Amino acid sequence: MASQPRRGGVSLPERRAAKSDSNGSIISKLSGSPIVSRGRQAASDAVLVTRKLLKSTGKAAWIAGTTFLILVVPLIIEMDREQQMNELELQQASLLGTPPQPQK
Amino acid sequence: MAAALNVPLTTSTTTVTTIPQMTKGEEKVDYLNLPCPIPYEEIHREALMSLKPELFEGMRFDFTKGLNQKFSLSHSVFMGPMEIPSQSSETIKIPAAHYEFGANFIDPKLMLFGRIMTDGRLNARVKCDLTENLSLKANSQLTNEPHMSHGMVSFDYKGKDYRTQFQLGNGALFGANYIQSVTPHLSFGGEVFWAGQHRKSGIGYAARYNTDKMVATGQVASTGLVALSYVQKVSEKVSLASDFMYNYMSKDVTASFGYDYILRQCRLRGKIDSNGCAAAFLEERLNMGLNFILSAELDHRKKDYKFGFGLTVGE
Repeated sequence: MASQPRRGGVSLPERRAAKSDSNGSIISKLSGSPIVSRGRQAASDAVLVTRKLLKSTGKAAWIAGTTFLILVVPLIIEMDREQQMNELELQQASLLGTPPQPQK
Repeated sequence: MAAALNVPLTTSTTTVTTIPQMTKGEEKVDYLNLPCPIPYEEIHREALMSLKPELFEGMRFDFTKGLNQKFSLSHSVFMGPMEIPSQSSETIKIPAAHYEFGANFIDPKLMLFGRIMTDGRLNARVKCDLTENLSLKANSQLTNEPHMSHGMVSFDYKGKDYRTQFQLGNGALFGANYIQSVTPHLSFGGEVFWAGQHRKSGIGYAARYNTDKMVATGQVASTGLVALSYVQKVSEKVSLASDFMYNYMSKDVTASFGYDYILRQCRLRGKIDSNGCAAAFLEERLNMGLNFILSAELDHRKKDYKFGFGLTVGE
């Protein structure tokens, strides 16, 4: 088989020429037919592409996740604390600031 | 019984300050009474404060003790990896620790500031108001290594709506800059410098437009630097800043965005860069005079992650 020149960094594995097996059972004839071999080729290509997609999605998710952790999580924590303090102050002020109202 | 307690919420109105609205009649600009502009080297001050906090790696401890109303001493300990500038793309870090002792004298007219470290480096700054409008600033850094010490003296003159500055540094470094207010919001400035040792000279221009809510600055220099920045004060506690730097000699571009939240108990600054760098800096007030500092910097491109924590004691 002639070796194909590699283009770029990624190339799919070489396609094997379909072997037609004239002597043998129906099964071997079927598994040697061009449709089946092309189907097998497509399945392995799909697996490769899926693996690459998962890897790059994983990398992007890692970068997004750690950046979110550094930039956004302290902000949420601090804003929550500020809100709690504001509520506490409001409560305290309403307790001490105004004269007690008679409850009807 | 459902009693509707109509409690007047007096606290909420007192914490909100209302900005007085300018009527249309007051918009006539008095060109003879323009405000004094801010000094030329502080033109990017707001953007720098928000976007460039003092990120560090390791542990930091600062203790400031005031002996007098004017005089104070400070002790500071730092332990952590220090980066060595290397030729290759790999950053080399070696663990280092040092102690720094410092003394400050602060007077309305004179300010003296000195720091000395265990590795023999001395840092000194002087700021003196010679007359009401003329002031002298000097700073110097002395080290044990030969040819690594430097010092700079500058004379600042503050006019009615302009400022000029003249600088002298060692190694035959001369610089001068001038900034003038053109309208109550806009000011322009320019600078020239000449470095004798490196035989370089340069000229630069800067402009700054500020209102109550936003500050926009731009600076161009003949060394190839173009820097633009924009800071918007979204509310009393929050301001957002963005910065764009372009060097047309080395074709280096950097854009960064950041936020600055000044809350009652803490100050949180975060920024993200076009170099793939995300950083955050948190200063939290645990008690009166006790501040807890956390710093984090992630560089996704170089896969260099730096985290630091520290404590600052003293007023």
